[in-house]
Amino acid sequence: MPYISSPASKAALKAGLSVTGVSKEFQSRGRTVQALDDITLALPAGKVGVLLGPSGCGKSTLLRMVAGLEQPSAGNICLNDRMVDQPGRDRGMVFQDYTSFPWLSVRENVAYGLEINRDRDALNEGTVDHFIRAVGLEKFTDAYPHQLSGGMRQRVAIARTLANYPELLLMDEPFGALDPETRWQMQDLLLDVVRKERTTVLVVSHDIEEALYLGDTVFFLSRHPGRLKEIIDTGFKAALPSGDREAFLQSDDYRRLELHIRRLMRDEGRNAA
Amino acid sequence: MTARLSEQATGQARLAPAEHARTRRSPRRWFDFNQTLKGSQRLLLGSLGWLGFFLLWQITSQMELAPDRLYPGPAAVFGSLWELFAEKNFLSDVLSSVTRIVLSFAIAVLIALPIGLLMGSFARVDGVLNPLLGAWRYLPAPAFIPLLLMWLGTGDTQKITLLLMGVVFFLVIMLADVTRQTPKVLIETAKTLGGGRRTTLWTVVFRHSLPGYVDTCRQMLAVSWTYLVIAEIVAATDGIGAMMMRAKRFVHVDDIMAGIVTIGVLGLLFDVLFRLLYRTCFPYLGRGHS
Ligand SMILES: Nc1ncnc2c1ncn2[C@@H]1O[C@H](COP(=O)(O)OP(=O)(O)O)[C@@H](O)[C@H]1O
Ligand SMILES: [Mg+2]
Repeated sequence: MPYISSPASKAALKAGLSVTGVSKEFQSRGRTVQALDDITLALPAGKVGVLLGPSGCGKSTLLRMVAGLEQPSAGNICLNDRMVDQPGRDRGMVFQDYTSFPWLSVRENVAYGLEINRDRDALNEGTVDHFIRAVGLEKFTDAYPHQLSGGMRQRVAIARTLANYPELLLMDEPFGALDPETRWQMQDLLLDVVRKERTTVLVVSHDIEEALYLGDTVFFLSRHPGRLKEIIDTGFKAALPSGDREAFLQSDDYRRLELHIRRLMRDEGRNAA
Repeated sequence: MTARLSEQATGQARLAPAEHARTRRSPRRWFDFNQTLKGSQRLLLGSLGWLGFFLLWQITSQMELAPDRLYPGPAAVFGSLWELFAEKNFLSDVLSSVTRIVLSFAIAVLIALPIGLLMGSFARVDGVLNPLLGAWRYLPAPAFIPLLLMWLGTGDTQKITLLLMGVVFFLVIMLADVTRQTPKVLIETAKTLGGGRRTTLWTVVFRHSLPGYVDTCRQMLAVSWTYLVIAEIVAATDGIGAMMMRAKRFVHVDDIMAGIVTIGVLGLLFDVLFRLLYRTCFPYLGRGHS
């Protein structure tokens, strides 16, 4: 299929995400809550970045600011040298709670982004079917979301976001509410699709194993206020057979990093107490 | 010996119900929480209620509590209902009442829907209109009858205006409430897919609220019937209410009751129509909703 190569060539032009000196304060009931303080990070195009940290450290807030759903109090966010100031098609978001439009079938849900953007070319090229197949829902194209399981609905959301060809895919704890087996399947599926399409991805997670498994880079945030505490590179995975979770979990590098992050998490717990 | 035998027997009897309950399929309790009924069961129970009602009516009407002329039984009422349609051209009365209802309600929805949609979507629109319309809602529409009679006379315009005033303020506020219930995350999903304000308003907010709109209209239409009767009793030459006022002058209680029955049946009919519309238009809601 000629069309599968096209996103790859588009990806070659991508420069990636840069977050510079971003802080965020919320006003709630007269008090000012500092959710994030001076975050600076960069994610090169085609890479998977993971925001990891204890709950309440501002992961969702940072992701929502990158999506343009929230404005930073200070600093700026750029995607491929364009300033982010409002939501847009270039930054697709997959939310935590499997949001599909209940009145649209699986196919119509996946086609939604292309329809509202009047992207006739992509619709005619078979993009919708391609991504329905990519997430393994070809048997359910005409089903409504209420007929699907949570995992399947999350796949609809992923397919819908990818079919829109975002330059950056944002995901907020996308597999948090799924059972472990389904979660592992979805992680593999995500890596598979994302590698084929060469999408840049920023995922929020609070699970160490998931973060190390998915991420090329893991950004560890600390709490109160949210600060970038450490950037962890997972280059060791290059030497491992790809897609082999067992080899990954048994490697010395994984165990070392897991223990290291576990200690970071524990320190966070102590500081909070 | 006999004592031991009977002990064994009771022991078994004590075991039996528990085992029975495990294999039994239909619920054994008549009244339990979270029970659901089959369609046929619902129909049966519903008929039971109505049967009881008609029985009670028939019996009390024959007990000489009041003269037959003032308190006719169901048979007499349905007899005069037939007579009304067959001989007294009641159908044209019914039609003019239905026309008033449908016309005024259509106008009310046409006005209320855009306003409710905008109020429910945008806080600033709500900020201006909610205090205003929310207050008007509590002014009883019949209080305006003297004014309407002076301004618009006794014709259909006056009646339709009264019906309109009776429902439109409630309708706006309720439709805005429905609109407001659109999950924030669906709106944000549309935005991150590149949806602008207009696109998001129509393809998400309006579309998500549609079933709620239909349901709200169904409920408000019932209120509309109340105002119709008031409008037609006050001043009218045709319509169900006017027929009932004519019948009152000649103490035709059976005709009055026939009018009440007609209004009840029509109200029910519209209700069923709306439910049918709901079920055929929104199959994606699954069974959880009625
Ligand atoms: N809209 C909001 N108004 C006020 N405070 C908020 C809002 N959103 C988030 N916060 C606060 O900001 C902090 C970070 O929240 P969040 O980004 O959801 O954390 P995480 O996703 O890491 O669990 C929390 O203390 C939270 O209470
Ligand atoms: Mg969160």
